[in-house]
This record gives sequence, C-alpha cells and structure tokens, in this order.
Amino acid sequence: MSVATAVAERYAAARTDASLVETAIWVEQLGALAYAAAADGPLSGAQRDRAERFAGHEQEHAAAFATMLLALTVPVRVHASDTDVDELMPAVRGDRPRAALEVLAELEGAAIAGHQVLARRLHAVDILRTAGMVMGGAAQHLVVLRTDLGRPPTRAFENGL
Amino acid sequence: MVRLSRRRFLGAGVLAGGAWLAGCGSRGEPVGARPPADAVRARILRAELAAGAPVVGSPLAEVTARQDVRHAARLGAGPRRASGTADLATALARKQEAVFTFVEALPQLPDPADRVALMQVLASEAEQIAALRLADGQEPVPDAFAGFVT
Repeated sequence: MSVATAVAERYAAARTDASLVETAIWVEQLGALAYAAAADGPLSGAQRDRAERFAGHEQEHAAAFATMLLALTVPVRVHASDTDVDELMPAVRGDRPRAALEVLAELEGAAIAGHQVLARRLHAVDILRTAGMVMGGAAQHLVVLRTDLGRPPTRAFENGL
Repeated sequence: MVRLSRRRFLGAGVLAGGAWLAGCGSRGEPVGARPPADAVRARILRAELAAGAPVVGSPLAEVTARQDVRHAARLGAGPRRASGTADLATALARKQEAVFTFVEALPQLPDPADRVALMQVLASEAEQIAALRLADGQEPVPDAFAGFVT
C-alpha cells in the first residue's frame, strides 16, 4: 500500500473530530520518523541537512495537533512507529536519494490532502487555524522536495494529490 | 515597500484555540458571535489582491502572476485584478500577510466547500513564498508553520 493510500484510508475511517485530529497527529509523527530515517539513510549534503530540519518541523506539527486533541479533552495515545515507516515508506531507508525524496513528497501531499479533509469534516472548526498553519508548512516542504526532484514547485490550487 | 508588519505566534494561537474549543457548543461552534461571512470573504479577497501584484525581478514572476490571477478568480474577484507591481521583499511580505489572513478566516467561513477552496489557495501562497525565497537564494522554509512562530 502506498503511503498516500494509507493516509487517505485513515482519514476516511475517522468518524469523530477527535479521530480526525488523531489521524493528523499520526501523519505528522510518520513524517518526523521518515525525514529522520532519510537523513540517516540515502540523503546527503544539503538534502540531509534539510531532512533533519524538516523532521523537527514535523514534530512541531504533531505537537500542535496534540494540543488541539487535548483541547477536545481527549488524551494523546496515537504513535506512528518505525514499523509504519518500514511498511509504507521503505525508500527512506534505501540507497536511492531520488526514491526517498519521491516518497517524502508523496507523504507531504497526503498530509495536505488530509488537512483539507479536516476543513470539510471537522465540527470544531477553530482547529482549522492550526490545520492551516501546519498545511502551510507542509506546502513549503513540498516546494523544496519538488525542486530537488525537478518538478514545478508550486500549483495554483494545492490539494496535495 | 511594505515591511512584514508582524509575526503571528503559534503558542498564543494554540492557547486561544484551546480556549475557543472550551467554549464550544454541542457541534463545536463557539458560543461567541462570528463575523458575517460576506465581511470575511471581502477581507480574504483584499489580502489576495494585495498579494497578487506581479513580482518584479524574480524568475518565478510569470508563473506566480498566472497563479495569483486564478486565486483571485476563485475567491470571487470578478473583474477586479491586483494593481501595480511589487519588489521581492514587498511581495513576500504581502503573501505572508495573506497567509495570516487566510488562516484567521478559515473557521469563519460557514460553507465547508469555501473552507477547502481557501485552504487550496492558502497552500499555494505558502508555496509561492518558499519558491520565491529559494529562487532568490534564501532559506525557503525558515520555520515550521509558514510564518507562524512558536
């Protein structure tokens, strides 16, 4: 299963505001692990340095969503794992930098698509301010990844797909 | 030239978000009144038209200008267009201000389809900021939250 499909299926299965936010947390946690793995694996030089920084950004995104979950009076129990990375994003532990960048771009796109699911489905709409900030960060990560992959960096209407 | 007038602080935003959520009604709507949707849409459009002034001196000027025309149309500009041009620093400041405005407005739009459309433009403006910086040799992603600082 691709990471984009896995993310989309998790959002589709979420039935409450809390489970939607838990899904968003899991995606950001997965991103933190994946960037860290890519920095320790196939990436080098400036790409490795950026991956390390972006791993930190993903942790900040997860923490921001975790605060929103707590505001819904739900404890944070979701944890992405290295097993998730191995199953969904093995390229970040491979030996091909381009493959790692491609799957990281796929994850960022899936995250953005998920944030837009939140915009459509959340009842506690004030959480969308946090989702908007996080989505902006994901979109900026995507610009760097697309540039490194030789793809157009921006879209007029970014839906992550 | 327009200087970036302010940075928005996520820490305060998160706390405020928690406070708002604590005051939500049964369907998550805050008890406090929200501004009229038309006023919110007008504020969004003003920000986009300011952000959409063509950028002078960037290799990405043409592509960002094309995208900004489409943003304005999607946000209901009708025949109105961004006026004038902007140097890179001004353009970046205006686009950052648009991102701030869009994030603030998201929960104030009652129609989920409008919220999704605004998020797609918001993401595009955030992308343009990073791409313009990158093309200028600047750090494209200096913070985790597209200008909102923890």
